[in-house]
Amino acid sequence: MFIKVKLPSNVMIPAEAMDPNGLMIQRAVLIRLLDAFASKKATKDLGYFIALKNLEEIGEGRIRETTGEIIFPVVFSGITFKMFKGEIVHGVVRQVHKSGVFLRCGPCENVYLSQYKMPGYDYIVEGNPLFMNQNMSRIQIGSTVRFIVLDIQWKEAEKEFIALASLEGNNLGPF
Amino acid sequence: KERREEKEKLRIRFPSAMSGEEEENAAELKIGDEFLKAKCLMNCEVSLILEHKYEQLQQVSEDPMNQVSQVFEKSLQYVKRFSRYKNPDAVRQVREILSRHQLTEFELCVLGNLCPETAEEAVAMVPSLKTKGRAHSDEAIEKMLNDLSLVKRFE
Repeated sequence: MFIKVKLPSNVMIPAEAMDPNGLMIQRAVLIRLLDAFASKKATKDLGYFIALKNLEEIGEGRIRETTGEIIFPVVFSGITFKMFKGEIVHGVVRQVHKSGVFLRCGPCENVYLSQYKMPGYDYIVEGNPLFMNQNMSRIQIGSTVRFIVLDIQWKEAEKEFIALASLEGNNLGPF
Repeated sequence: KERREEKEKLRIRFPSAMSGEEEENAAELKIGDEFLKAKCLMNCEVSLILEHKYEQLQQVSEDPMNQVSQVFEKSLQYVKRFSRYKNPDAVRQVREILSRHQLTEFELCVLGNLCPETAEEAVAMVPSLKTKGRAHSDEAIEKMLNDLSLVKRFE
């Protein structure tokens, strides 16, 4: 699910970047915010950081005495992506293994659909490895699949989520 | 034996999922207050936003793909692929129609993304429609889906 978030933050502008009249503050703040935003891939609470929408507020700048930089408290709005347990969502198969497949959902590449959670589907190799059921419905690389999110885990080191998917339920599967 | 090992590996990595025990559960709208109150965006809305940003980048850079993060690029690919409605007016109409039906932001976006064709499908995709004491009748759901089907997908 894509979510619109509103977040407080602090942006530091070096004194040299400030022009004598203190104009262009908004632009300088926005540029630094964009940089910071782009480098922040994801957080556990908000999910993946997709895009910055607006600079909603800029507070009064404070001088940081040791470095001469000026700190502006800001509030910005942005879009993040997060999967929720129990959410039904679409994904694309990117890898097929004997034990299951990996799906891509939004910016997350690590959604695992185990063969135990694909009722009725068996692993076969038809030129390419794939899963197929009695109705000849196929799950293979590039297939679009509707699945339910069983669980999500945050990996702090990689700043990534991994998720567990399932097709157990009505109206789930490839489409 | 392989099956047992595989199951055990899954159980260790995802204990709550494999045991059937749930805290968070989007199907029952148990997703944390801050998300229940947050504004969610449908894939088609995100697609318009990200495409616009990409166009802005194209105006100032020769190689816009190099300027965007992997997260942005994959998200753009994803929402373009999974948006039923491309035209901004259509997207607005979809949100407007769904907004008339006492849905939470989360439910609204799941419906707008998954595009169920029948009331039965809609309830399968958003089980909370029938719980949470709001009792959306099948007729009300059918009417909503009918209104949605009238929105022009391609312009």
